[in-house]
Amino acid sequence: MPSLAKFNLRDRFGDWWDGSSPIQRAIFRVILIAIFFGLPFLNNPIIDTPNTSFESVLFYPLVMFAVMAVGLNVVVGKSGILDLGYVAFFAIGAYTQALFGLHTDLNFWIVLLLGMAFAMFAGILLGVPALRLRGDYLAIITLGFGEIVRIIAVNTESIGGAAGLTGIPSPPPIFGIEFSVQDVRPYYWLTLTLLLLILWGIIRLSHRKPGRAWEAIREDEDVAAFMGVETFKYKLWAFVIGGAIGGAAGVIYASQILSIEPALFTLNVSIMILACVVFGGMGNIWGVMFGAVLLGYLPEKLRFLSDIRILIFGVLMVVMMNLRPNGLIPRKKREVISEKIK
Amino acid sequence: MGATLDFSILVSEFASLTFDGIVVGAIYALVALGYTLVYGVLRLINFAHSEIFMIGTMACYAVTLALGISTDADPLVMSSFVLVFSLIIVIAGLASGASAVVLEFVAYRRLRKMKASRLSSLISAIGASFFLTELFRILTDSKNIAFPRLIDKEPIFVISSAYVTADKLFVIVGAALLFFILNRVINHSKLGLGIRAVSQDETTSVLMGVNVNRVVSLTFLIGGILAGAGSAFYMVFYETTKANVGFLVGVSAFTAAVLGGIGNVRGALVGSFALGLIQQYSSAVLGYNWRDVVTFVILVLVLLVKPTGLLGEALQRARV
Amino acid sequence: MSQKLLEVNNLTIKFGGVTALNDVSIHVSEGEIAALIGPNGAGKTTVFNVVTGYYAPTSGSFSLAGEELVGKRPHVIARNGLARTFQNIRLFGDMTALENVATAADGLNKSGLVGSLFGAPRSRRDEKISREKAESLLQFIGLEHRAGQLARNLPYGDQRRLEIARALALEPRVLLLDEPAAGFNPQEKVELGKLIRKIRDKGHAVLLIEHDMSLVMNVSDRVMVLDFGNKIADGKPKDIQNDQRVIDAYLGVTEHDS
Repeated sequence: MPSLAKFNLRDRFGDWWDGSSPIQRAIFRVILIAIFFGLPFLNNPIIDTPNTSFESVLFYPLVMFAVMAVGLNVVVGKSGILDLGYVAFFAIGAYTQALFGLHTDLNFWIVLLLGMAFAMFAGILLGVPALRLRGDYLAIITLGFGEIVRIIAVNTESIGGAAGLTGIPSPPPIFGIEFSVQDVRPYYWLTLTLLLLILWGIIRLSHRKPGRAWEAIREDEDVAAFMGVETFKYKLWAFVIGGAIGGAAGVIYASQILSIEPALFTLNVSIMILACVVFGGMGNIWGVMFGAVLLGYLPEKLRFLSDIRILIFGVLMVVMMNLRPNGLIPRKKREVISEKIK
Repeated sequence: MGATLDFSILVSEFASLTFDGIVVGAIYALVALGYTLVYGVLRLINFAHSEIFMIGTMACYAVTLALGISTDADPLVMSSFVLVFSLIIVIAGLASGASAVVLEFVAYRRLRKMKASRLSSLISAIGASFFLTELFRILTDSKNIAFPRLIDKEPIFVISSAYVTADKLFVIVGAALLFFILNRVINHSKLGLGIRAVSQDETTSVLMGVNVNRVVSLTFLIGGILAGAGSAFYMVFYETTKANVGFLVGVSAFTAAVLGGIGNVRGALVGSFALGLIQQYSSAVLGYNWRDVVTFVILVLVLLVKPTGLLGEALQRARV
Repeated sequence: MSQKLLEVNNLTIKFGGVTALNDVSIHVSEGEIAALIGPNGAGKTTVFNVVTGYYAPTSGSFSLAGEELVGKRPHVIARNGLARTFQNIRLFGDMTALENVATAADGLNKSGLVGSLFGAPRSRRDEKISREKAESLLQFIGLEHRAGQLARNLPYGDQRRLEIARALALEPRVLLLDEPAAGFNPQEKVELGKLIRKIRDKGHAVLLIEHDMSLVMNVSDRVMVLDFGNKIADGKPKDIQNDQRVIDAYLGVTEHDS
């Protein structure tokens, strides 16, 4: 069975990892990162996607979905909060880049931070009232939030209305690499770098108090409170962090795509990201990224899948919950006899 | 921004808005009852209920196709209309009802047996909802479906600014009839007793010999039938549908159920009419564009300020 | 006379039409192992739920070492010296034994998220403290060999003891144990009794809800009895055993092995 085989691979890798030295691990990481950076140079008909260039697919949906899936994973996977309006953060980031890029001269990096800040603020605005509610209601409200953001964008002429905004500037050159319309690779590398930073941060937090707090909240929120966990604070943090990540992705996305409209930020996007988290293994950061890559890539590669993409995601979600609620690569930890402080 | 507050329309068209609000409220109520009944027995929001409604609308359309009634055709005589409509509402009710039962079986039953987490059930529900929406989007080629005008919509009489037309009257009367029947089922039948028992205390119900699985299936069936009936009234009134019609109607119906007090049948009715009126009035003041935002805002406010709704009782469930 | 730690005064709580607790006053003193017994439905777990901040009382008050706790949220009360275990085991199933205990240990430090992310000295120190505390508590309870195992994979007896270790991580002044012996065989109950005494000797007062009378009589310094939400007796184990009101309350309930 495929899943068992993956499991053994995972365990074997885990065994090697536990037995390896810091230098070996560092080398492994460097090689892995180099491979991912080198992906755009891969020119193989087997992996090529029919309608859009492979590099373009690498940027969107692959690495974008991966970033957003990691962000949503903190909320849904780690903390157990069902957020159905995640696209709103993405939209806020995108509109920040669009509006500040078109109307001000602000440095791209400052706009990036601003986009994250606005998204975080939205996360607080939504989270403070919504997180007091129970699961189903919370989910509905987040869904409403996502839709409201979109409807406001459609109805507000000063930010483009239904037609949206065009002429969004690209980021300035980094290390001599230009960001232009023709070449999507620098955007990919930029997002990949962002993803690596995010991974570093999230993994760090996961191994410490915040990670434990989130997991405890997901496992049994009431008992977590009885054990001294400040559940509200950590739930809000999860929301805010998820928002920041979504916002950052949105900023970069807008800077690449050059024109945005509300129709890009629909409920479907939220559902697609959710499907990645569900499919990949709630809470498991590697599984989630794997899910994002798989669910992003396959519809691009197999074009007929693309049209029925949402259909399949829907079925996937029902099937996954019923048959493998822990995801394809379960979040289950490797059980060891001794634990080391990282 | 984009909204200008215009109270003049509200005043001049007050009767019309009120009347329409009641009509729309009646339709919402039929859908809202589905949410509230299922919530009562499962303590779960059936996310895909909106698609059950949508399937009903599609069934209505299918009936007109089968009967060969084209969208250009003249409206029917009252006697023909009653016949045709009866057929439509029965078929739609059955289609929605059957879909609901299948939905429960596929998306929820196993999770209930596994005593899975709430999150899992919600995700399964969402998956089902999206699957159904997309399925019909593909089937309808993303187009709007036009429904023939079955009944003449000339005003029968006028009250102040309200034009009372046959279809609106029909909705109100028809819905009232259904509420009456539902009331008899819930309060005066064995099934209704089972539903009320499981809603109050599932464990004791099992001990008392209630077949919970059957009650749940039947609850979904009833909710589905009501949604199907609502879809028939919807189609007569609005004369159009599309694959994602479930979303907005569902959100309104759900908000109505929450506003009245989720789990509370009377609450669903009160909330639906209240919401119907609020929607009409706010559309007049703020413009139609903002109607859905208003609905969401009401939902958020109710959940934050009085989550048990207008008529809901405080739920004291011992969790520890 | 030792100081009263947990004081519950005239506690009344009503749920709708049902009065779960009616003017109940109990206390636990420093260094004491007290037991709370009574027939099923007497309101024992409700007492735990109220004093840990989960339910708000209809009237009455409770305090710990003089500090009023009414109206305080559960996590605040947990940090202020009142920790509990649960009748139906409620561990964090998908977390390891060590993580379960460490999560509770975290509750006592003030480190925040930002500090953890950027490796602030205080956060690093707190992390070390939490982990070391978790390890030593697992050792204390005899579960150090299970540290890296997922809580839900532990055998039943270990799960019960893990819950106790987790609660101890909060350094409670009073430890509330809700039917800790449920499902134990006689040998395990004896071990549990020894553990409870060990916990008391370590400096934690214990309030114990239990159905197993031999355990209660063996280990408790004092026994309080609830029946239908009323306190009907409060005294030494031997006296309680012979108290007619207590016997009447239990009539029809055979002394069974949980």
